[in-house]
Amino acid sequence: MSKTMIEVKDLTCDYGHGRGVFHLSFAIEEGEVFGFLGPNGAGKTTTIRQLMGFVRPDSGTVRILGMDCFADASKTQKEVGYLPGELALMEDMSGIGFLRMMAGIRNMKDTTRMEELIQLFSLDAGQKIRRMSKGTKQKVGLVCALMHSPKILLLDEPTSGLDPLMQNRFAQVILKEKEKGTTVLLSSHLFEETERVCERVAILRAGRLVATEPMQKLHRRVYQLTFSSEQQAVLARDCWQDGEVSHNVWTVSLKKEQSLQKLLQTALAYGVCDLREKQETLEEMFLHFYGEEQKNG
Amino acid sequence: MVKTLFVRNLKTIYKPWIIFSAILTMYITVIIGMFDPALGESLNQMMESMPQLFSAFGMNAPGSTLLDFMANYLYGFLLICLPLILELIAVNILMVRYVDRGSMAWLLSSPNSRTKICLTQALTLVVSVVLQMGYVVAISMLYAQIQFLDKLDGGKFLILNLGLLGLHLFLSGLCFLGSCLFSEARYALGFGGGLSILFILIQMLSQVGEDMEFLKYLTPMTLFDPKAIAAGNGELWMTAVLYLGGILLYGLGIMIFSKKDLSL
Repeated sequence: MSKTMIEVKDLTCDYGHGRGVFHLSFAIEEGEVFGFLGPNGAGKTTTIRQLMGFVRPDSGTVRILGMDCFADASKTQKEVGYLPGELALMEDMSGIGFLRMMAGIRNMKDTTRMEELIQLFSLDAGQKIRRMSKGTKQKVGLVCALMHSPKILLLDEPTSGLDPLMQNRFAQVILKEKEKGTTVLLSSHLFEETERVCERVAILRAGRLVATEPMQKLHRRVYQLTFSSEQQAVLARDCWQDGEVSHNVWTVSLKKEQSLQKLLQTALAYGVCDLREKQETLEEMFLHFYGEEQKNG
Repeated sequence: MVKTLFVRNLKTIYKPWIIFSAILTMYITVIIGMFDPALGESLNQMMESMPQLFSAFGMNAPGSTLLDFMANYLYGFLLICLPLILELIAVNILMVRYVDRGSMAWLLSSPNSRTKICLTQALTLVVSVVLQMGYVVAISMLYAQIQFLDKLDGGKFLILNLGLLGLHLFLSGLCFLGSCLFSEARYALGFGGGLSILFILIQMLSQVGEDMEFLKYLTPMTLFDPKAIAAGNGELWMTAVLYLGGILLYGLGIMIFSKKDLSL
């Protein structure tokens, strides 16, 4: 049995007006990359703040390595690398000045990992933070969260502000960390972002845990096929017996056992002109998974 | 204490510290330079023409010695208000801004306890206050020595400044407590700044006339009586209460900060 690194039990933290988190429970095992998925205001940041020991829970417990996150914050934080959702870096310092100061406060003597990460994210650390773009600031935050090689990473919307190239680089870094056995909790409001790195995802909505699922179960293959005319699209749909047509576009999702090859053969027979994979919004995903369950149940 | 953070703190507050020390230097030298028994006469006349206004600012009954003169014109108002402004600025830089903007999250995400981080900030503030008072003593004694050779009673002058330091530890402790109590900048600064201004106003009122004298029991400023100390009748217990109060305010602030919920 692997070790439980993070354990949240029946956590409630009510900010009033329906904001906060309610009766949240989940556990993250050692070496797991765990995604926290939900729209803005779902309670992702609130939960991470609890894990950082900034706020006390109204009820329930929040533990890291079996220690209480509020009472033993100085001990749990020894093992944690944290990236806040709101960066709030010290604007008057240079990037490198900030990182060196944080290394000093962490009592960290070896800065090889820090320099490695600066290289990896091609961070121009010499500039004043005030003059940095959002993406560059984000890189500073990421280096700071990772530089002391913590056992646990708590990353609140880690890729916000990063360009696609850097998002890729970030995914690589996280996968490397996973190989090393680091436990990662990362939050996001975009499904695609968690898709690349997470093994398991918790979905939050309005402060409640909707589901905790392995990534494969959430991954749906949804395609949009464009035909020369609406007629053709309808014909293809009728042949396949699934999906919806609007104008000349047929939108269809593939089930696990269905193969893409078969779909393409059908589409080709009706003269498909274009094919693209559809990016699902969170709401669509919620509807697909939980709307259906409600219908069935 | 966290050494790296302490060094960083010094870097963030040295600029306002130097600016205020420069302003203090100006006032101290100008006022000491004004000391002249003959000029004292004309000042006395001016004071007699509008006694209430002068006494509101703690400037009455000017004595004959240089120390009396300084206690009257410097320690009654200027050396209380100017360092107080610096203390508020320092509290803003050391605590309020970090909490209000959320940068405190970075400091707290380190494996140092909140108490340790908060203690480091408090210590920086205390060091800044002590150094400022030390500077006031040094520049005053130096300038007095240059202008009026051996006219300043060094022993009494030091006791006077120990009293002033006590008052400022108390007031800065009050400002610090505010920054620990509130997360929003305007309340955090408003608490210490507002109470300090209120205390000063109450003291001014209490000095205007005899009907208002009872007000002096409502303000801690009464515990620092520069004229009595200069005259050699200072009460040691009053200064002791200020120091003790200061320590309590700082301690209370650190305790509250260590336990409260922070919206970072």
